[in-house]
Amino acid sequence: MPDENPVPQTPAAPPAAAPSGRPPGGRPAGPHRRGKRQFLRKKKVCRFCVEKVDLIDYKKADVLQSFIQERGKILPRRMTGTCARHQRWLTVAIKRAQNIALLPFSAEL
Amino acid sequence: MEERLYDLIFILRPDTPEAEIDKIIATLQHAVEEKHAKVEKVEKWGTRRMAYRVKKLREGFYVYMVLRSSHGELLKELERRLRVSDAVIKYLTIRLDEEVKRKEKLGRRRERRAARRPKKAAPAAAGAEQTAAANG
Repeated sequence: MPDENPVPQTPAAPPAAAPSGRPPGGRPAGPHRRGKRQFLRKKKVCRFCVEKVDLIDYKKADVLQSFIQERGKILPRRMTGTCARHQRWLTVAIKRAQNIALLPFSAEL
Repeated sequence: MEERLYDLIFILRPDTPEAEIDKIIATLQHAVEEKHAKVEKVEKWGTRRMAYRVKKLREGFYVYMVLRSSHGELLKELERRLRVSDAVIKYLTIRLDEEVKRKEKLGRRRERRAARRPKKAAPAAAGAEQTAAANG
């Protein structure tokens, strides 16, 4: 399923309550749901919408950093919760940053 | 032709002497002014680690400029200069005016909405009170 094993670097925004807490805590009391259900539960909010960003700056490599995987791949929307519009802008920003060596195209080992 | 906004970033070899850096920036500025364009900002970000090796180097001296020009030709000229300069290992020009315009548009829209919403909310609340009073 898509939401499992989030990459370690998933942006800080919502995943606070994310899977890491799951194994020890077990499923919380309440309706007997399957484990899978709980993954679908957590609501992710687009970080850029929350901050009302109208222009994603490709120069802020530290911000963009949190939206790429360790090896440099751009994280999909389903991982980060970014809305479609902001994801569109985000990819452009990341690609620009890559071109001027602020972000890696592919991190070396 | 309307004016366009550009970002220009270039990376120099980290061992480039300070004087040389200033000289490069000065010649670029000169070229810009020759075409009746404006340099809005020049920032020296200094030596920083690059995300990958460029010309076998891991670090580079970043210089960031913001330009406003109505001649696309100018950018071509600047890029040519950067390309032939030995100290420059990488450069990037980005046209930004359309995005900035979009940003401003969205900002205006947000303001308008913010201005409208409280007005809308207030009468509704007042109306609710009235009906409550009428019922009570």
